[in-house]
Parts: sequence; C-alpha cells; structure tokens
Amino acid sequence: MPEILLSRQLMEQANVHVGDLVTLAAEPDGTRAGQFRVVGTYEPTPDPMKFSAKRLEARLHLPDLIALSADLTDPLSTESVNVLNVALVNPQEAGAIISTLAARARGLMVRSTARQDNSGGPFAVLDRFHWAIAIVTVIGSTAFLLALMMMRAEERRDIIGILRLMGIPARSILVEVLLEGLLIAIVGAVFGILVARAGQGVVNRFFQWRYDTTLVFVRVTFPIAWQSVAFAVPLGVIAGLAASWTLLRREVVSLVRR
Amino acid sequence: MTTIVEGRHLTREFPMPAGPVVALRDVSIEINPGAYVAVTGPSGCGKSTLLHLLGCVDAPTDGSLLFEGRDVARLTDSERSRIRLTRIGFVFQRFFLMPMLSAWENVELPQAEIGIRPADRRARTRELLEYVDLIDRGHHRPSQLSGGEMQRVAIARALANRPALLLADEPTGELDEDTGEQVADLFDRVHADGTAIVVVTHNPVLATRAERRLMMKRGTVVHS
Repeated sequence: MPEILLSRQLMEQANVHVGDLVTLAAEPDGTRAGQFRVVGTYEPTPDPMKFSAKRLEARLHLPDLIALSADLTDPLSTESVNVLNVALVNPQEAGAIISTLAARARGLMVRSTARQDNSGGPFAVLDRFHWAIAIVTVIGSTAFLLALMMMRAEERRDIIGILRLMGIPARSILVEVLLEGLLIAIVGAVFGILVARAGQGVVNRFFQWRYDTTLVFVRVTFPIAWQSVAFAVPLGVIAGLAASWTLLRREVVSLVRR
Repeated sequence: MTTIVEGRHLTREFPMPAGPVVALRDVSIEINPGAYVAVTGPSGCGKSTLLHLLGCVDAPTDGSLLFEGRDVARLTDSERSRIRLTRIGFVFQRFFLMPMLSAWENVELPQAEIGIRPADRRARTRELLEYVDLIDRGHHRPSQLSGGEMQRVAIARALANRPALLLADEPTGELDEDTGEQVADLFDRVHADGTAIVVVTHNPVLATRAERRLMMKRGTVVHS
C-alpha cells in the first residue's frame, strides 16, 4: 500500500488519522484514483504569499505521484516535470549554478529563490509602506512628545524659577534635566520594547489562529529594538532639553511671577 | 567698609503691548554691610522691582548698579547667578521651597551647588535648622510644615552660604500676626548677627523693626 503524508490542516478538515486508508483521485470526478495509507502528518512551510489560503496538501513519493497523475494517453507525461526545486549545500554558489545550467540546457529557466531586486514586488511595496508609516509615526510622536515635555516643563516653571533665583546656573539645571531625560527615555524605551514584545505575541497568536498557520506575522528583532532605542533616547533627551531651554531663556522673575 | 550694593538713578521699564510701563524711576539706593532697610508702599509702586534689581535677578533699563563694586550690567548671566548663590539670600512671600525636598535638603541645596563638602554641609545645615528652631522638622517636606515653619526653613536656606545681603519680599504676607512676629524676630537676630537685610513689606510691625525705611510711590522713593 503506497504511503502518504497529509498536512495538519487536511487531516483536521477530513477527520483523518495516521494509519487510515484514503483514496486520492487525479480528477475531480474521482477517476484515476488510488488508495494510500496515511503514515504521518506535517506542518506546511508557512508562505506569506498564501497565508490566507487553507493549506490542504499531501506529500507522496514521486513514483506514486507520477502513477497517480500521469496521462496514459501521453507517454511523455511520466517523464516530464514542470518545476524542480533544488536545495543547494552552499547557497552562495547559486549564481554560478544558474549560469552553468542555463548554458547547458537551452530553454530551461533557472532562477534563485533568494531575494532579488524586486522593487515592484508586493513585499517591497509593503516594506516601503511600513517605512512611510514609521516616519509619519516618528514625526507625529515627536511633535506630541515635544508638546508633552513643554507642558511638563511649564508645570515645573516654579521650581526652575526658584532654582534660578537661588543662583543655580542654567547649565546645572540643564545637566539635571539631561540626566533626568536620559533616564526617562531609557526606561521608556525599555518599556516600549517590552510592550512591543508582548504585542508581538498577541498579534502572532491572533493571526496564526485566524489563518490557521504557523507564519510569524510580527517579529521584534534585536536590530529593530536597537533602532527604536537609538531613535527614542536622543529624541526624548532633546525634547526635554528643548522644553527646559524655553523656560531657562526666560527672565528669572517671570518664572516665579503669577 | 565696602558698600554691598549701590544703585544710582535706577530706572526699570517693562515693554507692554499698550506701551512701556515704568516700574522704577530714577531711584538711588545704597546698602551697606549690617544695614536693615524696609521698603514700604502701595501695591505696584515698584518695591519688588527694586528688590529684584538689588538681588541681581533683573537688570535696570537705565542707571547703574554696583554689587560689591562690580557693575551688574557688565556681568554675564552665570556671574550674576554666582552672586545670587554666594552673596545674596532670598526670602519670598510664598516661601518657594522645593516641594520634593525635605527641610534639611532644601537648606543643603545651595551649599551643594557651590561644592561645600558633605560633612561641612551637614554641620552648617544642622546649625541653621537649630538657628530657626526647626531641627526636629528637618526631615519633613514643605507640605508637612506650617506657613511659619516653611518661612523659617526659607530663611535658613537663604542664609546657607553666609550671604552678605538678605532680601525679603513680603516675608510675612502669608502668615498670621503671631507667626509674622516670630519671623520678624528671626530677622532681628539675622541682622544682629551682621547680615544686611532689605525687606519689602506691607507689615508695619516688620517695617518698624528696620533701621531705615524707604517709602515708595509710583516707582520713586518719596520718603526715607
């Protein structure tokens, strides 16, 4: 009895278990069918291009597949394939192999699955869209942060006024604000990363459940976290300094006058 | 004896949308070491403006102001800050204590800023809190103190760096009569210990304690 593997999704949908006998047909009307024993299941490799498609798939041994799908009226159908996927031991050699194969077998289209210049592809467009969202978000949140820091600084008008009246130099106050801003920005950045990590889990679980896939939708990597901190910390410090500087530039008397 | 602060023909104008307002007009004043001067007059007559000029907080629009012989107009902002920190103490009607610091820390703050060693700071802070009779309240925050106690802490803070001049703007303005009198007694002691005092006040009891009284009206000194 030929053996077959079924995808987890197909097993669940068809309520099939390992050891069951199943009939597979090459035609929708049930002709050119064969019986197979289910010997296992597998999780289909996640594909972002097909994440919304139900992965109802099966894996057969090549002779079984050919026997099932061959067109008996066409002798060549048992000897031809449309596509071959080849995994390379050394992916760096892909370019050289492509050139060699293309030179030896005219008419054969050989290409690498590694990322190519694909500036018009859907993921490249999505990537640019993400960048646009990120830039708008950073600009918007910078303006918000600055307004917030201005309000916060204004609340501390009295304190800065008292310090200035007492003769504490503006430089000392700025250093204090700088250290405070640095601390808050670092704590804020760490908090942001923790929220992002938690959000990543929630988003991934939801969409993996929604589309029944193991595809990872969101991943907060170290470079992303580092980029965020590299943006957030200087931005927070600058916003704090800018807000305080607006107060420190004012006349001392105006800071404590009501 | 070097004059602490000397203002000649001081004028201070404030630009306003409806035209400049002259808060102080051609006022000359001299404060010598050990002086005790009270400045009185109706609201808006320029008392506080004069005090701010004497305290190097503000600069005159016209006239000259010398602090211990140095022309204040020629000093940079940080030099004026240094004078305020080391040579002048301020006491205000609303106390202006740092709300997040204890009484002890409020008194230590100006000393820390000029780099006094921690042991010396502690000794000076203890001495000052004993001086204003608040040594038991040193670890209390301003919100845990009464008005009179806050003002005494403010006086201790003002004296922290042994200033030559203590400037007080309505120091009894927010206090009841008895507490105001305690503050006036404290000023007497500060004066007796050799610190020059200029106090702006509406309080006649406090004003009569001073050796010299200046009455102001519409930006000028009308009676001395």
